[in-house]
Amino acid sequence: MVSKVCMTLLLAVALFAGGLPVVNAQEAPAACESVVIHAIATVGMVADVVRNVGGSCVEVTAMMGPGVDPHLYRASEGDVLRLLNADIIFYSGLHLEARLAELFEEMTSVKTTVPVANAIPEENRLRDPNFDQIDPHVWMDAELWSYTAGSTRDALTTYDPAHAAYYSANADAYLEQLEELDAYIHEQIERIPEEQRVLVTAHDAFQYFGQGYGVEVFAPQGITTATEAGVNDIRRTIELLVSRNIPAVFVESSVPPDILEAIVAGAEAQGQEISIGGQLFSDAMGEDGTPEGTYIGMIRHNVDTIVAALTGEAAVTPEAGA
Amino acid sequence: MTRQYDNTLPIQVEDLTVAYREEPVLWDVDVQIPASTLTAIVGPNGAGKSTLIKAILGLIEPSAGQILIYGKPYSEQRQQVAYVPQRGSVDWDFPTNALDVVLMGRYGRLGWLRRPGGKDRQLALDALDKVGMSAFANRQISQLSGGQQQRVFLARALVQDAQIYLMDEPFQGVDATTERAIVEVLKALKAAGRTVVVVHHDLETVPEYFDRVLLLNVRLLASGPVAQVFTPENLKKTYGSRNETVLHGIDGGSPSANGAKEANHGRVADAQPDLH
Amino acid sequence: MDVLQTLSLIFTDYTLRNVALGAAILGIVSGALSTFAVLRKQSLLGDAVSHAALPGVVLAFILTGLKTPLVLMVGAVIAGWIGVTLVSLIVRETRVKYDSALGIVLAVFFGLGMVLLTWLQGQNNAGQSGLDHFLFGRAAAIVQSDVITMAALGGVVLLVTALFWKEFKILSFDGQYAATLGFPVRWIDTLLTTLIVVAVVLGLQMVGVVLMSAMIVAPAAAARQWTDRLSLMLILSSTFGALAGVGGAVISSLTSGLPTGPTIVLCISAIVIVSLLFAPNRGIVWGGLRGRRNRRELQQAMLLEKLYDASTRNNGQSQPVESLRFILSGGRLEDALGVLAGQGLIAPETGDRWALTPTGIEAARSLQAPGGIRSSTLFSNPKEAAL
Repeated sequence: MVSKVCMTLLLAVALFAGGLPVVNAQEAPAACESVVIHAIATVGMVADVVRNVGGSCVEVTAMMGPGVDPHLYRASEGDVLRLLNADIIFYSGLHLEARLAELFEEMTSVKTTVPVANAIPEENRLRDPNFDQIDPHVWMDAELWSYTAGSTRDALTTYDPAHAAYYSANADAYLEQLEELDAYIHEQIERIPEEQRVLVTAHDAFQYFGQGYGVEVFAPQGITTATEAGVNDIRRTIELLVSRNIPAVFVESSVPPDILEAIVAGAEAQGQEISIGGQLFSDAMGEDGTPEGTYIGMIRHNVDTIVAALTGEAAVTPEAGA
Repeated sequence: MTRQYDNTLPIQVEDLTVAYREEPVLWDVDVQIPASTLTAIVGPNGAGKSTLIKAILGLIEPSAGQILIYGKPYSEQRQQVAYVPQRGSVDWDFPTNALDVVLMGRYGRLGWLRRPGGKDRQLALDALDKVGMSAFANRQISQLSGGQQQRVFLARALVQDAQIYLMDEPFQGVDATTERAIVEVLKALKAAGRTVVVVHHDLETVPEYFDRVLLLNVRLLASGPVAQVFTPENLKKTYGSRNETVLHGIDGGSPSANGAKEANHGRVADAQPDLH
Repeated sequence: MDVLQTLSLIFTDYTLRNVALGAAILGIVSGALSTFAVLRKQSLLGDAVSHAALPGVVLAFILTGLKTPLVLMVGAVIAGWIGVTLVSLIVRETRVKYDSALGIVLAVFFGLGMVLLTWLQGQNNAGQSGLDHFLFGRAAAIVQSDVITMAALGGVVLLVTALFWKEFKILSFDGQYAATLGFPVRWIDTLLTTLIVVAVVLGLQMVGVVLMSAMIVAPAAAARQWTDRLSLMLILSSTFGALAGVGGAVISSLTSGLPTGPTIVLCISAIVIVSLLFAPNRGIVWGGLRGRRNRRELQQAMLLEKLYDASTRNNGQSQPVESLRFILSGGRLEDALGVLAGQGLIAPETGDRWALTPTGIEAARSLQAPGGIRSSTLFSNPKEAAL
């Protein structure tokens, strides 16, 4: 909690300091009339950051759409061409796009490639309890995800120094939004009774969420969807659900629900009624054009769904600005 | 050619032509096999001997011609014909015993869904007895010698109790005991009024075992009683002149006969490799 | 968790019970059909069918939007069936051989399946995840309704196999002869192939495309080692399949991180290896031991005969050991002499000499008589000795 306060203070100072010249100048920095940078991002969450920071200067497309599993995604010939045609390649890094790692390594010599999540300090990165790997699902903690705004801004500024001020202002604005989101999440999680603050999903994408907001997370499948959940994993999950009297489990948009359905069936056989609390966005966002099709919308949706299912009441939220 | 449908004639083949891709294997073959006879089909390798048998059995689609069994198409007369295929046509490592193989000869009478019963078993045992294999009824077929396997195949055909028996090289590579046993069976069949047609590889034994012979080399060169048809000229026409010494020997005449017999016992020396 | 506890859980625990049951059904059905596939030398057919099924699964989802097991299985059966029919067509109409045709169809269909999957992942369709798990199976996600489906389909397959037992038997042994008896061989072949396709598809969701072929080959290959009767071979094959299925399910449930499908395949592989090595008569170890025994017996018989010949030439005198050294070198001569003595055929005399006993003389004589080798009691298996 202490480091969180410090972080927030630091951010506030940075915002203030960064915003001073803008305030003094009494005018917003110049936006672009036409697109200067064509960027390509891997997952939707990364694309969303680039969109927010780049504004009208940057056009960004996401390689992986809703429902796509980035752990397993293999690049097609078309993808490679699109990557080569882009000015900058933004990806998450930390081994999220496991099957694209080699490709990006080779691209680095001919393209600007930006692993945005590498900006997150080492001490904040969690490790996978089962294998010796970094857990890549950092966007689940809004506070940690804020770092990507900074690294995106820096990358854009390096490539296009002319609009440095514009990118900076955008980044600050976005950081403010992320801060709001972070506060909202804390608030909502408080509404769940402590013993029931357990999040059970198919794969282990929510460690950072759990760490950042005080929720226990549990997943039969481990960190990457490339491994198969075994009978043992399912049984341990059922045991947990039954012993802690947890009312709901959650499916994910990019992971097949059959493991969870098997868990629910198994728990029911032991007399415990478990519902599927809803669908969460873990490795991918929702459909384009919907509120869940942005990072902030996706996280809000997740939080609302989790809280509603675990408290049994609907979430009370003001209209969220995407 | 006459187009009568003689329903006392066991096998009537007319204008039979069979081709693999563009190459003819049998060309315009006309044959009539009378009842109660033992007929040998002889000819060089690749002459179409097996093909003729298989065409009669409907296993090969002819390009032209027709085949009648007692005046009707083969498909209506299956019950009348039994087949003894070449021994090499199956994998003898199959998990089954001799009796079981012979029992398969009864499957044709059982129809779908029914299993062989006690009566079928007894018939199978009788058939094994006729070929001298009673002691081997429960022996794994992989443990049988070549000649024993051949006799099992023969028993399987016998159990069908057909009128006509078509056999493909039943004497190939068998021991003396088996050869004698098979000949006994053939003679018994003829005595019982059945018709037997055998693809035969050993020219030497043709006069001894058979009363009719078919000389085949893509075309039918001659057909009829052995005494009339099995002559050096006909053999020369069938096999070609380079085998003259042997052919003389078979006729039983000249002094070169014995030498030729020793050198080529049982097999016409032929440039082509074995078995079609 | 100890093994005994786990075994009892098969009955009490919902999850393990369903996985074990499903795996057992898979094992029984694929084991049964495996018998015919292996005997007809169509072992790789299972491999071709399972790989060919992939585009069927993906297309079924694309066309219907549903991911229920039944829908996907129907797609898999259709695709598998088309693949197999194509193989027959290729073999019939071209000069391409059976194994090449299998390889071609397998590769083309599987490649098509992968292309479709990759295309699908590029579509913004949120429901498409999970189809590629057909590659390795999702055994642990089996629920009761899946087991019921498998049991129903599997039951039908087994029933048909029982009904057409003699037809399948004669087709597998001598298809040509069967045709002359009037059996519609093409139709029976199609029926059998269809059953194999269904058996493969049943197992796909548990073991996956890549490994299912093992379940169509291994059980029968192992069973063949232990019996020479077709009916017993099928029962044994099904039993091995079931054992591997249940064993795999149980073992993979003992600890985390062991995927169920591959564990099942490992179990059946272990059964095959043991069968190949240790089965009596056909096992490698057995064969090796028997070969050694045959050689020893042969050498002993030769030794007896040489001793007989030598002593006959020397008026029945005993022979010095050294004169026999040319037959067997090293300590083996002494061993062989010891065995012959133990059988009462020879007796030692002073000065390291050996002579034949009356029994030995008789044995040697009958060995040298016409057909003596075949009828000699010196050999455990005269036929093999004579070969």
